[in-house]
Amino acid sequence: MAALLWRPVGRYGLRGRLGPQLCIRHAVPLGTSAKEDMERYRNKSAGLNRPISPHVTIHSWSLPMAMSISHRATGIALSAGVSLFGLSALLLPGTFESHLELVKALCLGPVLIHSAKFALAFPFMFHTWNGIQHLMWDLGRGLTTPQVTRSAVAVLVLSVLSSAGLAAL
Amino acid sequence: MAGVWRLSARCGVHGGRALLLRAPVGRPAHLAAFLQDRPAPGRRGAQRIHLPPGRPALRWTSERAVSALLLGLLPAAYLCPAPAVDYSLAAALSLHGHWGLEEVVTDYVRRDALQKAAKAGLLALSALTFSGLCYFNYHDVGICKAVAMLWKL
Repeated sequence: MAALLWRPVGRYGLRGRLGPQLCIRHAVPLGTSAKEDMERYRNKSAGLNRPISPHVTIHSWSLPMAMSISHRATGIALSAGVSLFGLSALLLPGTFESHLELVKALCLGPVLIHSAKFALAFPFMFHTWNGIQHLMWDLGRGLTTPQVTRSAVAVLVLSVLSSAGLAAL
Repeated sequence: MAGVWRLSARCGVHGGRALLLRAPVGRPAHLAAFLQDRPAPGRRGAQRIHLPPGRPALRWTSERAVSALLLGLLPAAYLCPAPAVDYSLAAALSLHGHWGLEEVVTDYVRRDALQKAAKAGLLALSALTFSGLCYFNYHDVGICKAVAMLWKL
C-alpha cells in the first residue's frame, strides 16, 4: 500500500513538483511498464522475508485434483527414468547385459524383485490409463462431474490390476 | 482463438487446466453439430458443453497424435519387437516427454529469463535422451529386448 504513494516519486523524482502546466496527471506518459513495476516490487521484497498466504494447502482435495497432479508427477518420474536410461547408455561403460549381470549378482529375493517390478509398472500404467482418460476428454467425451468421477475410479482400478498383471509376468 | 487458448493454458494454474471446457477440439463438422446439440446426460435440459468453432493449434494436435502413437506402440513392442518399433519408441518417448516437461516448466517457472534458460536446458536433455536411446538401439540390444531381459530377472 505504501508502495503506491511512492509511485509519483519514481515518476517525477524527489525534487519538487514541476510547474502547474505539467501537473496534469495523464499528460506525462507512464515511465514504467507492469513488468518493471513487478520487478521493482520483487527486488524490494526480496530481503523482507514476508510470509506467503496459504494457497496450495488450503484446498480440500478432490479426486480429479489428485488424479491430475499424480498424472503430472508420474509423467515427470517416467521422463526422468527414460532420460536416465538414455544418458547412461551414452555415458556408462559396459553393455546392458553386463549391468543386468551386476543386478543378478546381488541375489535379491523374489519378493523384492516382484515388489520392484510392481513399483516400476504402477506409475507407468497409471500414467497410461490416465492418459487415455485425457484423450477421451480431448474428444469431448465424459466431461460431466459424475462421468469424471467414474472414469477416475476406472483408471485407478485398471492401474492396480494391470500393474499387478505386469509384475506377475 | 487458438492463440487465446494457448495463452490461457500458459497462464492457467495447474488445476485450472482440467476445467478449461472451452478447449478447441478438431472434429468433422457434422460430429461437432451432433455433440453440441445433445444435452449432457443426467441433467434435465440445463447444461450444454459449448465447443467453439475453429481448428486447434498445430502443437496441440501434434501432442495428442504423438500420445496416441505412443499408446499404439506399447502393444506393438510386446507382440512384435523389431528395430522399427525400437526407433519409433525412442522418438515418441523423447518427444512426448519433452513436450510434457516443457508444459511443466511453463507452469512453474514464471520469470522470463529463467524460463528461457530452463527450456534451453530441457531441449538439451531431450536431445541427449533421444540420441542415447538411438545409440542403445544401434549398439546394444534395443529397447524392446532390454525390457524383456529386465523383466526376466
